[in-house]
Amino acid sequence: MSLVVDSISKRFGDVVALDDAAFSVAPGTIFGLLGANGAGKTTAMRIVLDILRADAGRVTWNGTENTALPRRTWGYLPEERGLYPKMLVGEQLEFFAALYGVPRAAARAEIGDWLERFRIPDYLDRKVEELSKGNQQKIQFIASILHDPEVLIMDEPFSGLDPLNVRLLKEAFLEMKGRGKTLIFSTHQMETVEELCESIAIVDRGRVIVSGSVRDVRRAMGRRVVRLATDGDTNDLGWLEAMPGVSVTARREDYVELHVPAERDPASILRTAIERDERVTLFEIADPSLEEIFVEHVGRRAISDEEEHLAASGREAGR
Amino acid sequence: MSGLFPNTLHVARREYLVRVRGRSFVITTAMLALAVVGVTLAPTILGALGVADPPQVAVDVQADDLVADPVVTLQAALLITAGGGADPDEAPRAGEDARPRVIRAKDPEAAARQVRDGELDGLLTITRDEDGELAFEYLGSASPTNQTRLIVTQAATAMAIGDRLVRMGIGPEESAQIFQPPIFTAVAVDPDDSRDEEDFGGAFILAYAVVILTFVAILTYGNWVAQSVAEEKSNRVMELLITAATPRQLLVGKVLGSGAAGLSQYVVIVVAAAVGFLVSEPVSRALGVSGQAPISLPDLEPSMILSFGAFFLLGFGLYATLYAAVGSMVTRVEDVQQAAGPLIFLAMAGYFASFAGLNEPDSQWVAALSLVPFFSPYLMPARMLLTSPTVGEVLLALVLLAATLTVALWIASRIYSAGVLLYGQRIGLRSVWRASRVSR
Repeated sequence: MSLVVDSISKRFGDVVALDDAAFSVAPGTIFGLLGANGAGKTTAMRIVLDILRADAGRVTWNGTENTALPRRTWGYLPEERGLYPKMLVGEQLEFFAALYGVPRAAARAEIGDWLERFRIPDYLDRKVEELSKGNQQKIQFIASILHDPEVLIMDEPFSGLDPLNVRLLKEAFLEMKGRGKTLIFSTHQMETVEELCESIAIVDRGRVIVSGSVRDVRRAMGRRVVRLATDGDTNDLGWLEAMPGVSVTARREDYVELHVPAERDPASILRTAIERDERVTLFEIADPSLEEIFVEHVGRRAISDEEEHLAASGREAGR
Repeated sequence: MSGLFPNTLHVARREYLVRVRGRSFVITTAMLALAVVGVTLAPTILGALGVADPPQVAVDVQADDLVADPVVTLQAALLITAGGGADPDEAPRAGEDARPRVIRAKDPEAAARQVRDGELDGLLTITRDEDGELAFEYLGSASPTNQTRLIVTQAATAMAIGDRLVRMGIGPEESAQIFQPPIFTAVAVDPDDSRDEEDFGGAFILAYAVVILTFVAILTYGNWVAQSVAEEKSNRVMELLITAATPRQLLVGKVLGSGAAGLSQYVVIVVAAAVGFLVSEPVSRALGVSGQAPISLPDLEPSMILSFGAFFLLGFGLYATLYAAVGSMVTRVEDVQQAAGPLIFLAMAGYFASFAGLNEPDSQWVAALSLVPFFSPYLMPARMLLTSPTVGEVLLALVLLAATLTVALWIASRIYSAGVLLYGQRIGLRSVWRASRVSR
């Protein structure tokens, strides 16, 4: 019983948008879809929504194929924000609710409730074009959930929002989760993913590289992160680098960050430090952050892309 | 494929309200209504201003051996064309001033001055040359299409012929017989066709009106559909719409909504025209001008009006559906006109073909074209007004049109479902078709 994306592939001409992509989302959870721009996230979402049809593979929700599901199953917030600029907020939301078969009275009550929640209760009779980007985005979020969908699919919902609105939207996410909804969203903001998501999938070049619960994904990296601070000179770290497998990944003002391979017990670092008479003020064992994981999986390709790009622009300049 | 309702109606309702409330719609409709009222009242107003004064012509007869009085001949000729009876004693309809006046010029030089001052329309001088032939000289408008001058020319021809007959020794009674029009009876091919000449004049005007109204509706309101689709695409509201409703629901809703808004505009204009006609009589009476006899429109049977409506709606639907597909293929609203080129060309071809066809409504090619879906909305109503196509022909044209509309709807929703998600500089029909899928 869940949303299953079962090895879907999609090509646009010569471009492979999705290549045998698969992941599943448990009902009532929040799922993060991570990937660089153009990785295939939007295409995957559109296929789940049945706006696009996959060349191969299928999508099921609680065992029913998505092509057989009613449209009101889904709530969709597209990446490109778009509303009718000249229409009033209230009219516009009622229109979208009507398309999903929501009676007007019910829609009105729900709209009032959500405008209140988003702290814009007096915007009902304003034209959309008079609203700020952030407020337009809130209206669009409301438009996507008025019909009480079972699954919410949100493409980059947090992009372009100020911190206060990010907070409001996160609260809205948790509210929907509290109502038993399943949420899927894509983002570049790793802290948000760590804060909200039970499970994730990382998409790169149309392939799902990693997917599963956030904890499993972190563990699967096969290494841990140690943060260490001593009273001594942080520049003298030779003894740490001398330990097999250990590498210093970041030097901060007040601590250093180390990568420790899975086969080494992180506690051995603390023991060595004490043996060396270092005065340890901080010792912390953590899983690698999602950002690290993401960069490690996708970054290599991103970097090689950048090199290609630089080489290309170099050729351009040389002509 | 899911059903069309109720989402089609929601889309149509929104489209209609947004369009009708728009400032440009309100202004355009008001201006068109005013213009129509102005046109219907123009003859009355011009009459009141004296522009359309009845012609006043002076005659200077220097050949005094004429059998018939040229003043009477000219007066009769001018009266017939002015719409009054030929009998000079007949009571005038709206004041003595409204009748054309022909006077004998006692002082030719004074009369010429009056013509130059605009008090008289013309001065006709009749002399006899050395060969004994009558010679006419007309001082007045130089325009060869000037109505008064045309009538005077005709009257002069009749006078000259009458004079020659007298000189050949043919008496006035015999010459009157010579001028009698022959017995001429036109027998219509269709025995049920009992329309007279006056009916045909009205039918001709009505046929033009039907063709022009259909053409303008297709170009203007069809373009609205394309614009509106392109707008939704360019401001990206489309992605929300396409998840909420099927392409077919969106497409049909748009066509219905824009069409209804266009029809509303037409209704306002027709009402304005009717008001203008109704008001023109009391207004002209109040101003003391003879209102021009209003054009009598032929009595139309309800079945004819019904089939006109069907041709108009189906024809508009066909073009508007394709316009929607065009709108879904462009990325920017500005590109709509260019992308709609082939469609506009098709609509223009039908329009011009029907104008050529109005002059020979019985010809084979008109009969053939009036069955072809993209042209039948123009040509079949025109044929129905001017000749009598069989019921079978009319039904066949309607069925073909409806069938084409169904196919167009299917093709357009496929193009639409793919087109609305494609963004780029130039989106070719082929790439859209490849990306398209059968809609739900």
